[in-house]
Amino acid sequence: MLETETRTSASSERAQLIEALIEIAADRGYMDTSIEMVVAHAGLDRSAFDRHFRGKYDGFLSAWQEMNEECMHSVMRAYDSEQYWPDRLRAVAVEVVGSLCNDPSRAGFAVEVLAAGDAARARRDMTMRVIASLIDAGRKEMDDPESVPHTTAEALAGSAYGQVYAKVVRGDTDELPKLIPQLMSAAVMPYLGVEAALEELDRGSKMPDRYRRPVAASPADTPVENGEEYPPELARLPPGRHGLPREFVAHNQRERLIAGLAEAIAENGYAGTTIAHITRHAAVSRRTFYEHFASKDECFVAAYDTVMAELRERVGQAFEEEEDWAHAVKAGIGAMLAFLAAEPNLARLCMVEALVAGPVVVERYDSAIQSFVPYFQTGREGRSPEVLARLSATTEEALVGGMMSLISRRIIAGKTDQLESLLPDLVEFTLTPYLGSDEAAKVARDS
Amino acid sequence: MEKGYRAVTVADIVRRAGIARNTFYENFSSKEDCFLAASEFAVKEALRRVVDAASKVDTWPARVNAGLSAFLHYVASEPALARTCIVEALSAGPAAVERYERSIQAFVPLFRMGRKVSPHGEELPGTLEETIIGGVFWIIYQRIIMGQTEQIEELLPELVEFSLTPYLGAEAAKRAAAEQPQTTSG
Repeated sequence: MLETETRTSASSERAQLIEALIEIAADRGYMDTSIEMVVAHAGLDRSAFDRHFRGKYDGFLSAWQEMNEECMHSVMRAYDSEQYWPDRLRAVAVEVVGSLCNDPSRAGFAVEVLAAGDAARARRDMTMRVIASLIDAGRKEMDDPESVPHTTAEALAGSAYGQVYAKVVRGDTDELPKLIPQLMSAAVMPYLGVEAALEELDRGSKMPDRYRRPVAASPADTPVENGEEYPPELARLPPGRHGLPREFVAHNQRERLIAGLAEAIAENGYAGTTIAHITRHAAVSRRTFYEHFASKDECFVAAYDTVMAELRERVGQAFEEEEDWAHAVKAGIGAMLAFLAAEPNLARLCMVEALVAGPVVVERYDSAIQSFVPYFQTGREGRSPEVLARLSATTEEALVGGMMSLISRRIIAGKTDQLESLLPDLVEFTLTPYLGSDEAAKVARDS
Repeated sequence: MEKGYRAVTVADIVRRAGIARNTFYENFSSKEDCFLAASEFAVKEALRRVVDAASKVDTWPARVNAGLSAFLHYVASEPALARTCIVEALSAGPAAVERYERSIQAFVPLFRMGRKVSPHGEELPGTLEETIIGGVFWIIYQRIIMGQTEQIEELLPELVEFSLTPYLGAEAAKRAAAEQPQTTSG
């Protein structure tokens, strides 16, 4: 009982902080928002902030993550409220425009958060991919569903984003409802033809009959479900935020610096991390830093190499322990996921920040992908000519790349602790080209 | 601009350009100012190449094909400028948004001509051209983000089809997209 109460108050404290952060950041922008302002606005103290977030960057990304998830929930609800595809899209457009009009601080935050860097932008792009898939569903209405290129929906979603974004930046949110018929018309055209597109124009900003969301109603009517402030998965306390497990961090200074870098990056992002951050986390002097590394970049490269070496070793060991190739792949992927889930800072460092840390590291990222390729290539041995004909020279690279991208999306979404639940999907995904989908699914599911 | 707009400092720029800090400030008042000048240059240059390529062919669909081909070629050959103009535009503050919209507007007249060949001409949505150009920009943006700048030119047929469909209908747009652009300049 006591535990439940503590959990509830912790989640409402977190929600309060996020609310305060959004309001202040919408007004002041990323650079000029400080943790002190946020806690003062929330009526809490600094230790409360530190209980929930690892610094400002983490606070921003967490708020942004929740906002995107909320947005996805309401978008899917709107989409499902209608039967006919154009009505579904219209309900989504009305929902998005309505929430931007009703909640100017969330709209402002959605613009300002992009200053937090590439991780924030990547989160936005994921949301845009979901929206694009809703537009892409229009092909199901066609006689020949494959006649429209897949980039069309992506282009329509991105272009709608650009137009909405520009209005929000200029403070013209009241003009957003007028965009609805225009955007709807353009979105419907490639799938249903020009007549249907002109019809959408005639409908103006009108909602479908069943789906009505008040555009520009009072901001007070935020939906409250089951008396909880957030669905349980959003109210979770961030797991694994206890710094680095000491088993990884030996006493030697170089490794402490590397661990310090990983912690500082989890807090500030790569671009926002300074040498002072690193030395503070590592509890060593600045001079010690420069005895080991010439720059932050050099320290990052060293950290990346160390993490990847550890990862490769664990994967290799797990792979060797299995006789049968398919099960060896499964064990290898399992070991990779277990390591990353247990080391959230390192996971973020090597799977997310490495991609934004600059060309030197991106090259290393590519070679890391290459280093996992041979494990899959072994799978070609003894396959039938039909199977081999199906594989291309770059199949293995594509499999590793696809796997990395799925993993990094989970990490960006703040779900590092749940990475291991990806195992069956990843195993099925990677084994299918070699074994066919039935056999691959079987290996993926057996325990 | 390999670091992204936010992370670049004036020190980075002068080091890369091999000039003195003073020289930088004689030419630009701030990083923002320099960024805007760079994107202005890139947009002008892109527009020049597009118009140049388009003017070498006769029909409007062929012009769109040739123009887009020149545009994609420019983006692929100048990845740093493309990054400045397209990737950073939607995250670098109000002035950048202004610039983003102006670049879109610069290309609008080329597409608006399509209304003359469309049976529905002026009935089409007023922001159709902005939607098409914004869509092309977004697709390019996504490819740059994913490190596929070199493959951008492969997108040509899909983007031509996307751009022409509202004016010509799906069938004719597909046919026009399947043709090789009639100019190789770029």
